[in-house]
Amino acid sequence: MKDILLEFKVNGQPKKVYVDPNDRLLDVLRDYLDIKSPKEGCGTGDCGLCTVTLDGKPVLSCLTFAFQARGKEVTTVEGLGNGKELSPMQQALRDAGAAQCGFCTPAMEIMVTDLLKRVDNPTDSQIKEQISGTLCRCTGYYPIVEAVKKIKEEER
Amino acid sequence: MTEVLMPNTLAEALSMISKDGHDVLILGSGSDVIPRIREREIEPKKVLDLSGLGSELNYIRTEGKVIRIGALVTVRQIIDNELFKGRLDAFLQAGRMFGGPQIRNMATVGGNLGAASSSEDLIPIFIALDARVKMASIDGDRLVPVSKLVVAKRQIDRRPNEIIREIYFEMPDESSWTAFFKAGRRNSLIIDLINMAMYLKLNIDGTKIEDIRIALNRVRGKTPERAYKTEEYLRGKRIENETIARAQEVLDSEVQLSSDFRASAEYRKSLDKVILARLINNCRDRIVEGRRTGN
Ligand SMILES: Cc1cc2nc3c(=O)[nH]c(=O)nc-3n(C[C@H](O)[C@H](O)[C@H](O)COP(=O)(O)OP(=O)(O)OC[C@H]3O[C@@H](n4cnc5c(N)ncnc54)[C@H](O)[C@@H]3O)c2cc1C
Repeated sequence: MKDILLEFKVNGQPKKVYVDPNDRLLDVLRDYLDIKSPKEGCGTGDCGLCTVTLDGKPVLSCLTFAFQARGKEVTTVEGLGNGKELSPMQQALRDAGAAQCGFCTPAMEIMVTDLLKRVDNPTDSQIKEQISGTLCRCTGYYPIVEAVKKIKEEER
Repeated sequence: MTEVLMPNTLAEALSMISKDGHDVLILGSGSDVIPRIREREIEPKKVLDLSGLGSELNYIRTEGKVIRIGALVTVRQIIDNELFKGRLDAFLQAGRMFGGPQIRNMATVGGNLGAASSSEDLIPIFIALDARVKMASIDGDRLVPVSKLVVAKRQIDRRPNEIIREIYFEMPDESSWTAFFKAGRRNSLIIDLINMAMYLKLNIDGTKIEDIRIALNRVRGKTPERAYKTEEYLRGKRIENETIARAQEVLDSEVQLSSDFRASAEYRKSLDKVILARLINNCRDRIVEGRRTGN
């Protein structure tokens, strides 16, 4: 019963989709709009892999109903950078070997982007805190922390 | 869920639930409710989504000594607000351990009060601050002391036609401090074992406890409450090791918990005692420090 017209922006583009009341934001992004970077890890809010930003703030798209995004702006990794080349942040993660299987990488990138937007030279503990709600089962946290510190050094 | 109500104003929202409000589930951010809907623990037919009411229900305001927090304010907004840096430290201590950063961006104050599962972290802090909840309905506002809000696990004193609009309390004065601690990691399905919030006020010369309020997520049952007997014992006392040891005994006899699969009653009680001492000392130290540095 897709009877709610959802109008919102995804990565800068206006979208109109009919959604079911029970559809989550995650379902709409992945299944209706073919945006596959947000992942469903646990579906209960613990793993953080479905993280996207909603009006600029990272939230869990598996714990957000699609209709809650009406009139709002959603950003996923597909909307970071120019879509062709890696951004300096992505390049730094790559150089540090901060992606192993890659499953958590989109969520990590959303969290790192949010941190760098708010904090100029984040400390180790700020970086760790920022990614604390995003699980990496390869346990590759260390290279991520190192990469984030490098990004700022490079920009200076 | 077959129907979603999406009001754009509070007045519209209140008229939507003025009749038949009992079969409407109110949705803050959904961080508590959505996992429960998906687990089929609850199966609401209608949902009233508050996300269109940001301009009316999302504010942190001060009026003289009174601090007013709108129902849609998130944990993140509280942590970031200068007002909470200082005597309202309890909120920062809770905020740091509240879910992960994404949950903090979502979780609303109204939703924390509404969830009432006995593991909410903001409720004991509001109880320690003796806060009042303002319920809105088409008949006007109704005030509920937060200490009376939770009537049973997952049940609050809210009428079917009401929406939590605001919670407010007085800013503690310069002789006071607030603190919070919880034990047990919280994720979506596992709840904290113990949490405790404290408001403590020292007398003029800083030697004795002038006033104290202690709130725990569980005291006699699965509802947050104040530890009145422990408070009563501590009022007027000097903060010395002996007093704290005696207060721990009073708390031990006041708290009546049962064991469950998460922890035994003994373990919970021994945590309570340690946290009690820690919070008393923490509040005292910060008040004394503030006096010395003139803050
Ligand atoms: C991974 C994870 C970690 C978490 N960690 C913590 C934690 O550390 N500490 C903690 O306290 N909680 C935690 N929670 C629980 C939850 O995030 C909080 O209780 C949050 O404050 C709920 O707010 P919400 O807006 O998401 O509520 P919702 O899920 O939208 O609503 C919760 C309840 O409140 C009612 N409600 C909401 N707003 C109103 C209103 N304005 N008027 C009347 N009723 C209303 C709803 O009907 C519902 O019954 C966690 C949840 C998850 C998934």
